[in-house]
Amino acid sequence: MAHFRDEDARAIIREAYGQVRSDGTAVASTFYSPEELSALPKGAVELALGVGQPVRCAELRPGEVVLDLGCGAGIDTLLAARAVGPAGHVVGLDMTPEMVERARRNAATAGLDNVKVRQAMIEEIPLPDASVDVVISNGVLNLSTRKSRVLAEALRVLRQGGRLSIADLVLDQALPEDVLKSPAALAG
Amino acid sequence: MKKLFNVGFEEVTVAERRPFGLDELTRYPLFAPDFIDFMRKVMPPERHHELVFSIVVTARKRVGEAPAPQPH
Repeated sequence: MAHFRDEDARAIIREAYGQVRSDGTAVASTFYSPEELSALPKGAVELALGVGQPVRCAELRPGEVVLDLGCGAGIDTLLAARAVGPAGHVVGLDMTPEMVERARRNAATAGLDNVKVRQAMIEEIPLPDASVDVVISNGVLNLSTRKSRVLAEALRVLRQGGRLSIADLVLDQALPEDVLKSPAALAG
Repeated sequence: MKKLFNVGFEEVTVAERRPFGLDELTRYPLFAPDFIDFMRKVMPPERHHELVFSIVVTARKRVGEAPAPQPH
């Protein structure tokens, strides 16, 4: 049962992620190796808010085109950009203008010109059919109230044989109602 | 996982899985200390180290078939 209307959920998430500040690397250190982190701008590492490491599982190859859904400040976008090299490119999408700005800045700081970051909703991916080799996402799918729509859009933009690698949180047991109604729990 | 199959992906696999508890939540700046305290009170102690699971799922788009119907 939905505890928030679509527009309310989006507003809560947009506000939470637009205002988030961090001066630590606790999250990034959980999922990424020291070698991976040392090659990334501080701005991307400190605002890593994902829940796994989808780039590692995506087995990216040079020359591939990658789409990062809900890219945030860009840690996975930048790792993917390094993996696919100058013959490939990465598109990062995020609905939060502050995160789009941060991701663009982090890509520039990293010297990566095979990255494009756009403000967009992951339920309406602004890319042509069959234009992407790999779709990645990290801790974002659960933030959408239209998960099947997001997955259908991911399928649409993937080429035949294209791959998906997404990290998110799943439940083995239900959470209490009080937690499910909490805006803080929704944004997290 | 079921949603992935329903939409039309194949070779759906859980590539990684790890428990995610209160210790992990405290690392995220999105969660204020009072929310962590709230979770500590609301959730039974035996679940504090394993509130949810973090997974990475991989999947592949079929080759050579018509696209699956698009849900709205």
